[in-house]
Amino acid sequence: MGSSQRKKNEKKKDFQKTKFKVGKEKAKAANFTDTSFKSRAIVMGQQSLSTTAPDVIQQFKHSLSLASSSKSDKQRRESLAYLTGQLSAEPPVNPVGTHGVLQKLLPLITDSSTPVRSQLLKLLQVLPPAEVRHSTEQAIMFIRAGMTHLSADISNDTLGVMEWLLNVAEDDLVTCPGGWVKTLNTFCALMGWALSSSNQGWSSAPRATLKAKGAVTYARQITTLAKFLEAGLRPETTIPEDESQTWENLYRIPRDSNAFEYLNLYGTRRDEEGEMYPNREARQRVFERKFLEAIMKGADHAKKEGGATGRAAATLDKVLQQGMGDYESATAVDTEDLLSLW
Amino acid sequence: MVKRKVAALEKLDADFASLQQKIRRDPRSYKEEFLKQWEQYESQREIFLVSPSTATADSIESFHNIIDLIAHVAECYKEETRSFADDLSTILTQHHTVLHPELREKIAGSIMLLRRKEIIDSTTALTTLFPILVSSPSKSLRATLFQKILSDMRNSNTKTINHPLNRTIQTVLFNLVTADRTSPRAIWAIKLTREMWKRQLWTDSKPVDVMKEACLSENEKVIIGAVRFFLGGDQEREELEDESSDEEVDLSKVKHQIGINKKTNKQKKIYEKAVEKIKRLERKKSKPHPLNFSALHLLHDPQDFAEQLFSKHLQNTKAKLSLDSKLLVLQLVTRLVGLHKLTIVSLYSWFIKFLTPRQQNVTSFLASLAQAVHNLVPPDVLEPLIQKIANEFVSEGSASEVASAGLNSIREICARQPLTMTDTLLQDLVQYRKSKDKGVMMAAKGLLSLYREVGAELLKKRDRGKNATINLKSGIQHQRKFGEEDEGGIEGLELLARWKEDERKKKRLAQGLPENAGSDEEDDGFKSDEWEMDSDGSSDSGDWINVDHSDDEDGPSSKKQKTGEEDEAAAAAEAAAELERISKLATTTILTPADLAKLQELRMTSTVEKKLGTHRRRQKELEDRHRDDGLTAEQIEAPSRLRKLTKEERVELAKDGRPERGEHKSTQAINKSKLAASGKSTSNREKERNKNFLMTLGKAKSKQKRSLVETRKVLRGHVERSTRGGRRRNGT
Repeated sequence: MGSSQRKKNEKKKDFQKTKFKVGKEKAKAANFTDTSFKSRAIVMGQQSLSTTAPDVIQQFKHSLSLASSSKSDKQRRESLAYLTGQLSAEPPVNPVGTHGVLQKLLPLITDSSTPVRSQLLKLLQVLPPAEVRHSTEQAIMFIRAGMTHLSADISNDTLGVMEWLLNVAEDDLVTCPGGWVKTLNTFCALMGWALSSSNQGWSSAPRATLKAKGAVTYARQITTLAKFLEAGLRPETTIPEDESQTWENLYRIPRDSNAFEYLNLYGTRRDEEGEMYPNREARQRVFERKFLEAIMKGADHAKKEGGATGRAAATLDKVLQQGMGDYESATAVDTEDLLSLW
Repeated sequence: MVKRKVAALEKLDADFASLQQKIRRDPRSYKEEFLKQWEQYESQREIFLVSPSTATADSIESFHNIIDLIAHVAECYKEETRSFADDLSTILTQHHTVLHPELREKIAGSIMLLRRKEIIDSTTALTTLFPILVSSPSKSLRATLFQKILSDMRNSNTKTINHPLNRTIQTVLFNLVTADRTSPRAIWAIKLTREMWKRQLWTDSKPVDVMKEACLSENEKVIIGAVRFFLGGDQEREELEDESSDEEVDLSKVKHQIGINKKTNKQKKIYEKAVEKIKRLERKKSKPHPLNFSALHLLHDPQDFAEQLFSKHLQNTKAKLSLDSKLLVLQLVTRLVGLHKLTIVSLYSWFIKFLTPRQQNVTSFLASLAQAVHNLVPPDVLEPLIQKIANEFVSEGSASEVASAGLNSIREICARQPLTMTDTLLQDLVQYRKSKDKGVMMAAKGLLSLYREVGAELLKKRDRGKNATINLKSGIQHQRKFGEEDEGGIEGLELLARWKEDERKKKRLAQGLPENAGSDEEDDGFKSDEWEMDSDGSSDSGDWINVDHSDDEDGPSSKKQKTGEEDEAAAAAEAAAELERISKLATTTILTPADLAKLQELRMTSTVEKKLGTHRRRQKELEDRHRDDGLTAEQIEAPSRLRKLTKEERVELAKDGRPERGEHKSTQAINKSKLAASGKSTSNREKERNKNFLMTLGKAKSKQKRSLVETRKVLRGHVERSTRGGRRRNGT
């Protein structure tokens, strides 16, 4: 009873005329949206109140800090673009030095926005190779983190950075502390060529590379690995003896950034993985002991897949044969034995 | 750390939560993904360790996430994650001061997670976290760490007491306390010990040792923490035990709920839990009460400890404790002296300078002094103190509160060592019972009644009272000599003897024999059939029992002969004989378990009677309070406090224990709101009464229009239902 009366009244309400009253505000419409807002201060994006424009150095530093710490993707990308422009100018403007730039920008390898990452790669490519060499150790750390990132996009883009680093500083890359074993570890984890693939009697499911995109990525990974291995296992060319250079080496203060790094005077004790592998033989030895089997097996699998992957795997195979063909396992002293003497 | 907004698509891709879930569901298939993430962790750690203090927000966040993931799946890949726990503890130990707060907590939490999954053991986890707890400058970290450590300690002690772990931790705490006496770090040892003590997980002497060392520290906070433990730790423990035994589950309610609600697994679990809990409570009830000694009793070498405390914190003029702390330490020292009957002669002379009414907190000093007195303190040491209290506090000119406090404290001292008092002083003090002030009057009367019992010779003859005069004359009562001790006995044994006597009499009356039998007659009123075990029954077991019974009979029979004469002296002699007889009951017979049970029961009833007794009895009980309980300042100033109450306080006192009556309301309304508050509904009748009239109208109308067949159907249904307990089937 009561409810029906109420319903009737409710229906009626729609057709009733609203009465205006003197001194009262007009009633708000049913679909009224409140657009007023309260704010203590209005923040303007990039407002500068100074009359004189900041000098180039200031601007460079400002955009460097924006690129590394801004919350907005767009801003990061734009300041990266500005930095790229500055660095590629003739002569390049770089008040903080290549090392400084890299220190700030390397964390962007794992940035969540794709345009930022691609812009970063462009920026890296205009950096002078001779100076990048000294920051290889930092760079490879971030690259390793990027390659194993959970997001496939990021790990894929990082391969590009890896390629860049291989182009500019391949020798430093394979000799720097942790640069050889840890990076190989990362590659194996990345491609799923498990190191301890002793699944006693259990065959693990083959890689799900049915998707075209997956196959392309896989091929790219293998290609990069091949490049990396080539850099590490290439026979060293003996530098022709130069009288003056020999004397210089003996009596001059070395000009490298960290010439006595291999002594590791101040750092923590390195384990096998973080150790430096300065010459080809050492690299071959550790490679043979830890990775060769897994990589061979992985390459075989990949070759069978055919297509781009197969071609890449064939390249890898060739590199392996070239790099490891002349290796005899028994000749050298094992560093591990030396390490265990500690 | 501000989280960067993640694009929707990317979120799908980089979802740690779903990866974690997948890995845990099927670790073998997702091993590849895990290995990739493990590499990710390694490289993130490497990046992080290059500069732990200046890491960017991004790297911290990703490190945070990856640690979370690895910690959760570590149990699936024990081999691969061997180094994980060590890594975490190294990071935390080395960098805890500079780490980002959230990351810090995550690492600490992950360590505890690994501990819960039993990847590392408690000892490792705790020895990692504890040093950080004591050295961290961050308050929030300390709070979380303490919480985590405590909960882990509790968890590892729930099923059985984990002795090795406890021993390790106790040693760590002991070393912490003794290593640096000036540092405030030891406060954490105290906190942890106190908590463990409170929950009865640590009950042996080792934690007491830790506290003892803490008492002798040089940091005021530490000292006070430890002293408070000794003064209040045991009480706290008892309170917690009472609380925990209070919580009970109403099984019938749970059952009822299940009958009504939908039957789900959750409901079932709740029911099972309730049953389990009830079973546990039952088991706990039937278990013998754990014999937990108080911390004061577990102290090793209390004499040395008390002396050290006294000389270090009180006698030493260089000690910079505040007055409040000093009072606490003093309380502990005096408590120890009183409890263990220690002898620290210089303590009493030290008190003298504090015994003036102008001294701050003088009642606490008085209470402590009384606490420190026991029957082995030489009276000549105490005499000047009593004299000083009497001179300073108890005079016509002093305020009534002051006088009553003085009298009370003198009474408390004399209750413990009656030989201190001289007759002139006592006779002076007793005169205050004529005072107009109630507090003073009560205090003086208390003193008087005390001395009527313990030293009536000191009183004037007319003050002695009837009982004391009689007892003095008959030689039952005499002043104790210094150092004289009571003989030990079994509490309530006389009750048992009397009860046995009564039973025997009843039995004999029932058999039609005279109340008192000849001594040679074999009798044992309550025998064999009632008691499962009977040691003093069976006459064939040995004739020494018979001898005992004839002895037993001697007392009452002699009583019968002499009662006619109504002689006081005889009564006294009889009392002595009674005493002898009772003591014999214990020495000549073996008390059966049944006897002991009866004894316990009788003891209980007698204490209940005492509780219900008159004011006089309560007063007496107050006097022979248990020695273990200390004396507080309130007891010294109690009567004067009574007088000073304001109206509000008095109303509060009167209301204490009555139900809350917020506004003016009828009892019915209060009951109803109580029901509603406890989640109960109204009764069906009430609901019927409150039903809207219009709702009942339709039914009433249709009832009138029903045909005969319909009516029959309804009535049949009613009958049928009543056979089934008045319930409707579904759908009718």
